Amino acid sequence: MEVVKKYSETELVQLLQQRSGNVFSYLYDNYSGALYSVILNVVNEEELANDVLQEVFVKIWKQIDSYDSSKGRLFTWMLNIARNASIDMVRSKGFQNSRQNRELSEDVYSAGGTSETKTDQIGLRKVVYSLKEEYRVLVELSYFQGYTQDEIAKMLNIPLGTVKTRLRTALIQLREIIKP
Amino acid sequence: MDIKAYIESGVIESYVLGMAESQEAAELEQLSRQYPEIKQAIDEFEAALEKQSLAAAIAPPAGVKEALFSSLESEFKKDRSQGQVASINWGRYLAAASVILLVVSSALNIYFYNQFKSTSTAYQSLLAEKNTLIAENQNTQTKVLDLYNSMQMMSDPTVIKISMTGIAGKENNLATVFWDSKSKDVYLLPNKLPDAGANKQYQLWAIVDGKPVDAGVMGTCAGLCKMKNIPNASMFAITLEKKGGSATPTMDQMYVAGKVG
Repeated sequence: MEVVKKYSETELVQLLQQRSGNVFSYLYDNYSGALYSVILNVVNEEELANDVLQEVFVKIWKQIDSYDSSKGRLFTWMLNIARNASIDMVRSKGFQNSRQNRELSEDVYSAGGTSETKTDQIGLRKVVYSLKEEYRVLVELSYFQGYTQDEIAKMLNIPLGTVKTRLRTALIQLREIIKP
Repeated sequence: MDIKAYIESGVIESYVLGMAESQEAAELEQLSRQYPEIKQAIDEFEAALEKQSLAAAIAPPAGVKEALFSSLESEFKKDRSQGQVASINWGRYLAAASVILLVVSSALNIYFYNQFKSTSTAYQSLLAEKNTLIAENQNTQTKVLDLYNSMQMMSDPTVIKISMTGIAGKENNLATVFWDSKSKDVYLLPNKLPDAGANKQYQLWAIVDGKPVDAGVMGTCAGLCKMKNIPNASMFAITLEKKGGSATPTMDQMYVAGKVG
């Protein structure tokens, strides 16, 4: 998606903080697709992803005053809101029930045959899938499922130091892939 | 500190992706303020991540935006349509103002027209009153002049005064004849005579050689009434006759009579 920018990021933030509905609409038109892609990566179900997307934009609207440009780009801030909201949704009781309590390992290791495979082929997750499996698993659990490194170490029964090192290596590889 | 190694450690990516532990994040924020290279590395990864994400965007169903915007509608309202609302209001105010102006203007038209009409009526009645007063004044002046002339005439020594007193049965009636002995003109002063009535008039007779001669009928006159010229007479009398007078007096309708001299 080619985004033709009408507003600089500073202008966008300023106008959003002034409660401009038109600029919020512009923001949605330009970023909802990118955020939706990430949400789908985590949530895997379109209907729930729609709910999350709406929730994410409500949060962006309500919390724009707390955005601090010195800490990073607006997109980074929005992407983190989307990721956190998606993980929260996946972890919510109702959603876990809908997943029929499938085993964690199934999610992590199954390459095909389940309902969520289609979202493996989109967005950031598609990039992650190009990593070596030992790295991919860590990014999956850490980024898309929101587990802490400590939890991952216990889950996979490998030392925390190894988790840390592998994850960082994975992220460096990821960066190299998406680097322009 | 080996900045390059730090940048290559993956901590920046971890931080940007929201995966860093809070201690790591705080440290990175601190270092990024000290080292522009770190700040730059963060910026670059953020830009790359945004670009990649935008490139991988998937358009969400249109219903999501609709639901989102209808849920936030009340919060946009003030902002979104401020200009529009203002212009609508402006238009409404203009329309309201023009209606008010029209009503006020119409009301004033009616008010001023009524004012004009009543003033015009008042003017017309004043004009009529003035004309009446002028006419009355002229009448009064004429009367005054007549009275003055009568007075002048009565005080003239050549004028003989003949008092005509009421005859038997009409004693309380009185009239006076002033007879100019030079010009033989006769003037009548009805001192006290009852109202003649609508279809009757008093008529003056001069008795000449024992016969009544018509000396004229008495009209409405101020002061003295000028009667006919009588060259010679021994007596004057007044009878009540039909309007315009009679050729001979109706004797039983005699009111007053008086001898000359």
